[in-house]
Parts: sequence; C-alpha cells; structure tokens
Amino acid sequence: MQFWWKRKESELDREMRYHLESLAEAFERQGDSRAEAMARARREFGGVEQVKERCRDERRWRPAAEFSRDLGYGWRMLRKAPAVSGMAVLSLALGIGATTAIVSLADAVLWRSLAVPAPEQLSEILWQSKGRSRDVFSSSSGSMYPEGPLHVADFFSHLAFDTLRERMAGRAEVAAPRDSNPVSLSVESASSVANLRPVSGNFFPLLGVQPALGRLLISTDDRASAPFVAVATHRFWRTGLRGDPKTIGRAMRINNRSYTIAGVLPERFGGISPGESTDLYTTIEHSPGMLDPNSWERTAATDPFAWGLQLLARRAPGVSNDQLRAGMDPVFRSTWAGQPKDPATTPEIRVQDAANGIGGVRRELGNPLTMLFVLVTLVLLVACANIANLLLARSDARRKEVALRLSLGCSRARLMRQFLTESLLLAGCGGLLSIAVTYAVANFAVTLMPGSPRLDFSIDPRMVFATLAVTALTAAAFGVYPAWSATRVDAAPALKEGGGSVGGVRHGFLTPGKLLVLAQVSLGVLLVAAAAAFTAHLRKTLSAETGFDRTRLLLFDLRPGESGYRGDRLKDFYLRLERRLSEVPQVKTVGLARIRPMKGGGYFDGIAMPGRTARIGTAVNFVSASYLDALGVSIVDGRGIEAREVREGARVAVVSEDFAAELGRNPLGVAFQMDGKPVEIVGVAARARYGRLNRQENVLYLPNSLGQDSITVVLRTAAKPLQALAGVREAVASLDPNLPIVNAVTMEQQIASTLRREILFAWLCGAFGVLALILCMVGLYGVMSYAVSRRRQEIGVRIALGASPRDVWRLVVAEGLGVTLAGCGLGILTAWWAAQKFLDYRRLAMDPVEPWVLVWAAAALVVSAALALLGPAIRAASTDPVKSLREG
Amino acid sequence: MDSKKPELLQGTLDLLILKTLAPGPLHGYGIAQRILLTSRGTLDVQQGSLYPALHRLERKQIVESEWRESENGRMAKFYSLTRTGRKQLAAELEQWQRYAQAIGWVLEG
Repeated sequence: MQFWWKRKESELDREMRYHLESLAEAFERQGDSRAEAMARARREFGGVEQVKERCRDERRWRPAAEFSRDLGYGWRMLRKAPAVSGMAVLSLALGIGATTAIVSLADAVLWRSLAVPAPEQLSEILWQSKGRSRDVFSSSSGSMYPEGPLHVADFFSHLAFDTLRERMAGRAEVAAPRDSNPVSLSVESASSVANLRPVSGNFFPLLGVQPALGRLLISTDDRASAPFVAVATHRFWRTGLRGDPKTIGRAMRINNRSYTIAGVLPERFGGISPGESTDLYTTIEHSPGMLDPNSWERTAATDPFAWGLQLLARRAPGVSNDQLRAGMDPVFRSTWAGQPKDPATTPEIRVQDAANGIGGVRRELGNPLTMLFVLVTLVLLVACANIANLLLARSDARRKEVALRLSLGCSRARLMRQFLTESLLLAGCGGLLSIAVTYAVANFAVTLMPGSPRLDFSIDPRMVFATLAVTALTAAAFGVYPAWSATRVDAAPALKEGGGSVGGVRHGFLTPGKLLVLAQVSLGVLLVAAAAAFTAHLRKTLSAETGFDRTRLLLFDLRPGESGYRGDRLKDFYLRLERRLSEVPQVKTVGLARIRPMKGGGYFDGIAMPGRTARIGTAVNFVSASYLDALGVSIVDGRGIEAREVREGARVAVVSEDFAAELGRNPLGVAFQMDGKPVEIVGVAARARYGRLNRQENVLYLPNSLGQDSITVVLRTAAKPLQALAGVREAVASLDPNLPIVNAVTMEQQIASTLRREILFAWLCGAFGVLALILCMVGLYGVMSYAVSRRRQEIGVRIALGASPRDVWRLVVAEGLGVTLAGCGLGILTAWWAAQKFLDYRRLAMDPVEPWVLVWAAAALVVSAALALLGPAIRAASTDPVKSLREG
Repeated sequence: MDSKKPELLQGTLDLLILKTLAPGPLHGYGIAQRILLTSRGTLDVQQGSLYPALHRLERKQIVESEWRESENGRMAKFYSLTRTGRKQLAAELEQWQRYAQAIGWVLEG
C-alpha cells in the first residue's frame, strides 16, 4: 500500500515536471534564456501543488478522498495538542480495554455455554436445607455454601445416585462427575502430575461428546472387573502426550497402576465447569480413591451416611427443571438411612440450569464479576466523558475556523463530517491500543484467580466485535454533540470575536463541559469508595489473627502411597521421614498432617458428644505428635498427642478452645464415639485457623494413622522457609530418590492462595479507583484550563481594574471546586445507595461499607481536584493584563 | 490569459481529449499543444483542468497510461484510448454533433 502510494506520487511528480520542462523548452526555442524560460513556464503552469492535489482527488472515489483528507487534517489537529490528545486516547484505551477484559472474563466464567450438543437440557442436581442436617449423612465430600437462610450442597450418596438414575429413567439421565484431583502419572518412564476426574460410565454418553481420537468412556467401563482405561483432554494429549495419535491404546501409569489410553476428547470440549483444569478422565470404579481399600471413597461406596458424589442430569425433551425436582425429591428421601430429627432441616432437591457449566468457580466469581462489570462500565463512562469534554473544548476553540469555513461556502454537513472523522480517529487510536490493555488486564486477572483456572482467552471474534462496536459508539455518541454545537456557529459574530473574548460564549455555571465533570466526579467517588472498601476488606482479612506465627513455615506434600508404599512399609517410611527431616540443619520442628492447613477447605464432621443431642460440627485433622508445636499452636489445658500414641494409634484427641466452649464443660477426660469406638479428649489447644483466614471453626486433632497414601509436611524453620528447601530435598531423596516433593510453599503463600478472589477483587477495584481518579483529574484540568483561556480578556480587565492575583486565583479555584463538591455530594449519595442495594455482604464475607469510606473517597477526589486546578489557577493569576487585552 | 480566447464550454474538455487521443497515444503536454494547434490557437487548455481530467478518465478506464520515451528523448506518461474510451468517443461525438446542430438551428432560426 505504502509502496503503491509512493510510486503514484512520484509518477505524478514526474508528469508535472515533464510538462513544465516541455513548456520551458518551447519558450527557450522562442529565444528566452534558460532561467527565464523556466520561470515563464512556472508562471504559465500556475500552482503545481494545487494541480497535483486535484489529480489525487480525481484518482480516488470522492467520499474516500474526502475522508482521507479529513483524516489527515484530524491527525494534524490531534498532533497540535499531543498531551491532550494522548490523554484522551489513553483514557479511552484504558476504559475500553478494562471493560473488554472484564466482559471476556465474565463471558468465560458465566455466559459461555458448554461445548456439548443441546447444553440447555443439562441440569446440576443439588440439595438444600435450612441449617445443617447432620442426621441423614455423617460425612461428606463436596461443597456446601450458604444462600440466605439455606445451605446448598452438591454431594449425594452412591445409593442416592444409583436410585435416582434408575427411577428417573425416561425423564432424565443422571451422571456423576467427581472433582478433579492431582495424581502422579508416568508415560513412557517420564513422570508428572496431572489432574484426574473420575466420572460415572454414562457421563460422556450423557453429554453427547464425540471423541477426537479413539473412544470415550462408556457404562461398561465403570465396573470393577472391566479393564482400566482413561481418556485424555485434547490439551493434555497435545502437551502431556506430545500430540501423538499412536498413544491411543498404549498404557500409562496413574498412581502406579496401569491404564490404557482409550481416546482423546475434542479440542472444543473444555470440561463441565468454567476454567476447569482436568487432564484425564477415568471411571469412578477405577479412580485411585476407590482402589484404595482404606479410603473414605471406598467405604462411601456402600455407606448411605457417606455422601460424596456430584450429580449432573440431562433432562428429556419437554421435562422442566421444576418437574425434575418434583420427581427426584421423593426418590432422594427414600435413599436416606436416617431421618432428620428437626423437620426444618430436611434436605430437598434443588435443580439448577447447567448449560453454562457447574461448580464453584461460577459461584465464587459470579457476584464479584458482575460487580466488577458494573464498576468497569462506570470507568468507561468516565473515560468517555473525558473524550466528550476534549471534543467540546476543541469545537469551542475552533469557532473562528468553523465560521471562516462556513462563510467560504463549506456546507454544515461537510463540517460535521470533518468533526466526526476526528472523533472517530481518536476513538480508533483508543480502540487499537485497548486491545493490548485487554490482554494485559485479562492475563493479570487470571493469574490472581482462585485455583488457577484455565480460562480460554484466545481471541474471540465476538469480543473484538464488541470492542469495535463500543469504540464506534463512543465516537458517535461523544462526537455528535460537539460536532453539532461547533457547526451551529453564526458566522459573522464569531469572526468578529477576538481570540479570547467573552462575547457570545457561554461560560455560565452549568456548561455542558462542567456537567460532564460533575457526572465524572460523582462516578469517581463511587469508584474510589469501592476501591477503598474492598482494599480495606482485603487488608483486614490478611491481617486476621491465625493463631500461629505464619512466618518461617514451610509446607509440602509427599505421596509415598502412589509409589507403592503400603501398610507397615508406609508407616515406617513416615516415621523415618519425620526423624530424617528433623536432622536438617535449618529445620526446628517437623509436623505431619493429613489435611494441609489453610488450604481453603478440609475435612468436616459432626461429632455426637455424650449428654448432648446436637452434634458438634468441627473441622478435623489427623496429625503427628509435633504438628501443633511445628505450627505454633499451644496447648492451653491437658496435654498434646504423644509420639507413642501416634505410633500405636491410640484413641485420644485434642480439641480447640472453641470446641471446648461449645461443649460447655471441661472436656478433659470426656469420651465420644467415633467410627463405633470411644475416643478420649486429653487436651485443649489454643484457637487457630484451620482452612481459611476469614473463618474460624472448631477443630478436632486426632493422631495420624500414618497409613494414608499422602501426607502434608509442616516445617518450622530457623530462617527463611525456602532456604530450608534444599536440605529438605536432600533428606527426602535419601529416603527415596524417586519421590517428588509436591506443592512446596511457605505458609504466607499458602494463605494468599486461599485469598486469590479477594486479592483479585481488591486489585482490580483499586486499579479502577486510581484510574477513575486520574480520569477525573484530566477532565477537570481540561475543562478549567479551557475556561481560563476563554476568559483571559475578562481576567485581564479584572486585574487592570485592581483585582489581586489572589482574587483571580480564588475565582478559578472556587469555580472548579464548586463543580467538584457538587459532584462529591451526588457521588456520596449514589455510592451509599449502591452499597445498600447491590452488595452481597454475606457472600463476600465482608462487613458493611462504613460512611467514613465514602467521605474518605470524596476527600481523595477533592484533593486531586485541587491538584488539577493548580495549573489553570496559576496561569489565570499570572495573566498579564496588557498582553491579554491586546490579544483581542 | 488572452481575453479573446473563449472559455472552454463545460463538459467539452473530455470530448476534446478523447478526440485528440484518437489517432494514437500522447502525453499531457502534447495533448494541450495539439488542442491549441488544431483550434488554431483559440483553445488554450489550462493545466489545472487538463491533468485532473486525464486522471479522472484514467480512473474511469476510458484512457490508459504508459511511460515511454518521448520525441525529446525523455520519459513521459503517454495516454491512449481504451476500448471503452473509443465507444465513449463515438457516443460523445454523436451527441455533440446533434447538440451543435440544434444550437445552430436555434441561432439561425
């Protein structure tokens, strides 16, 4: 294009030159000297550049020619004020970019349908009850979350699944997808960790997914006697299996058991929950948990009190969610082995649309994302107000130019087109730049998301289209009024006006520019208040008391069971590990636990205590003797668990202070039943966090059986935790060189990982708040410096008549601050109203927004407004009366 | 320049260019000279209208251009009629003759 253009230009040039030279030669033949002839030829020819320009016009399609000329002119106008134009483009890019990023996130998490046929027929099966119903199940695996007065849970017993499946046949197909869990994997002697999701055999037939290669799992695979098979996601096949089609039918080892790779899922299929990170699927019967005879999963398969299956259904055509719920409810009740003592806590089936997927990411991020979306839209509005302001100021400043062009015969339509082209140019630059901003914001947000979800951010044409639409709309909406007002000039008075005179210019209190700033400031207060509230919430959460010293703690997992350690050999390994690790120089204390502390969740149970009807809900951990010591939790009464008791599997327990308080009497010596055998409470531990910073539950510590496949090691170190890691690796390698250390982090990192949602939210809100503040400053600065430049003459007169610079200064500051304060008042009211109406405090686990936050935000805006006013005020105060009066 | 020289009638420039190009390819300067010559010094086509007209005709594919050596040994842009150009010329000629005849009748009548 460039080349073509250059060639055309040079041709035009040569053509004109040829003509000129030919003319000159003719004159020379008539007897002129060479120089004379050339000069005469030039005179004869007239304006070469004008001719060229007309030729250029003729060569192009006329509207295109005009458009490109407008564009060139617009570009020159923008370059005349690079700072202002740059600000405008930047505000637009940030506004549009941030909006697109959040919309893409919301789309990936909330709105995108699953890549399966007829996703609208899919439903997630849950149950809900008022209060925890501990009489129908005793243990569970899955998630339970509060919703208003209700508890909503997603786990069912095997019996419930089988019965529902059988009895609902014809109305709905029901499948059970379990949660993904990391497993150790070895393919052709290369070892790695992968996420495995066990599913019932009818899972893929229910979804209707067709394999990209080989075959998917079917019902006959889900039998204990069937050969072991697994299916890979397309992503894992490409990366973990090097995209080799020959891997189908080959064997790989999952937790040291051989599975045949049966097939590969299509690329489009990203799982059933947004951002899920599953690599492999196998049947529930062949899941590692099910194959371990001592595991909870194994016993849960036959225990009607153990609920741990998640359910997904595909409704038959014509069956609604309500009908499904009504049909399932009695079936569900018929599978209970116990009845709730309190009828109010009776669980009932709840059916939810699952066309967009199931699971926690949606629940956890849904509300925050919607709020972020609203906030970011406001930021975009603020940015757009800046553009409009800039265009308004410029159109006003160009009244003379417009008047001149009008009186020279230019049509108003043509002029308006010129102005619109300029706003389009501005918007176009902003739109282009915003694509980079989009990716930066989206990538940043994803790294901060809980559980590092794999969200698909490949360029979505819909998103690009949406960005373009927003850009075009911005240009049109915020360019039309300035263009219209610019061309509404009455030519004669405008031309007569001086450079900065007062005549005919509105600068009353409520100019459109000031109204825009007013709106900007009130939105700014809202955004800054949101930023302040959420960062304060995060800070409060982060600094919450854990009950232990969180510095100098190192955590990691070992999975000896997956490498073939069993029974006594496994126990022996753990004991040697404990001894060996305590010999590492930087390590002070070694603790072992079944549940990783502060992992965001854990193992919860209801304990029936003698003499009490209600069970005590508590978090449970199975720990080694020195675990509490390593973590830094002191024993406040009685004694801790002893090493001998751990080795012998003694039936003793330590409870937390909260547990003891709920029990209501001295717990020492109290015995309770667990798994049918008595357990005696021997000690009370200080209150300490178990799973999350923002939740304090009762905790029950029991001796670790040292018989589990995997274990979490908690090390109290002498210096920085990660410095001990090298010694730790050596120690572990001396026991088994092939055993990988999994997920080694410091306690501080561990805590932060459970707060990713809060951190993400606070970061984005904070960024939006700062952005809004800057945009408001830019807007106010623009409007006021423009107002001052329009009033130079008036100010000159005032100074000439004896006004001191201080008076002038006060004049400008008062005008600017007046707008700001009005905006602040409006903003505080809006923000207060929005906080009452839209914030779901319960779900966000935060305290209600306090009024001081709003006042603080308004103060921040007033201060930044004052800063923005400084420039225009100083300029006004230093006006030279003589100069400014002469300029007219 | 010369007040005796009549203004070129609007819309006739294209016809003059086409007619001048009918015998064979010619560059811009040549076209202007040829028109001046054949009109016996009456019609002095201004460069300011000649070149835009040539570029317009080229865009409409009525004429095409080619760089080649001119009579003074330098490279010049030569214009020639395309097939559409020839059809256009015939059509415009006929139209012009009918128009001139009609004007003649009116003026004589």
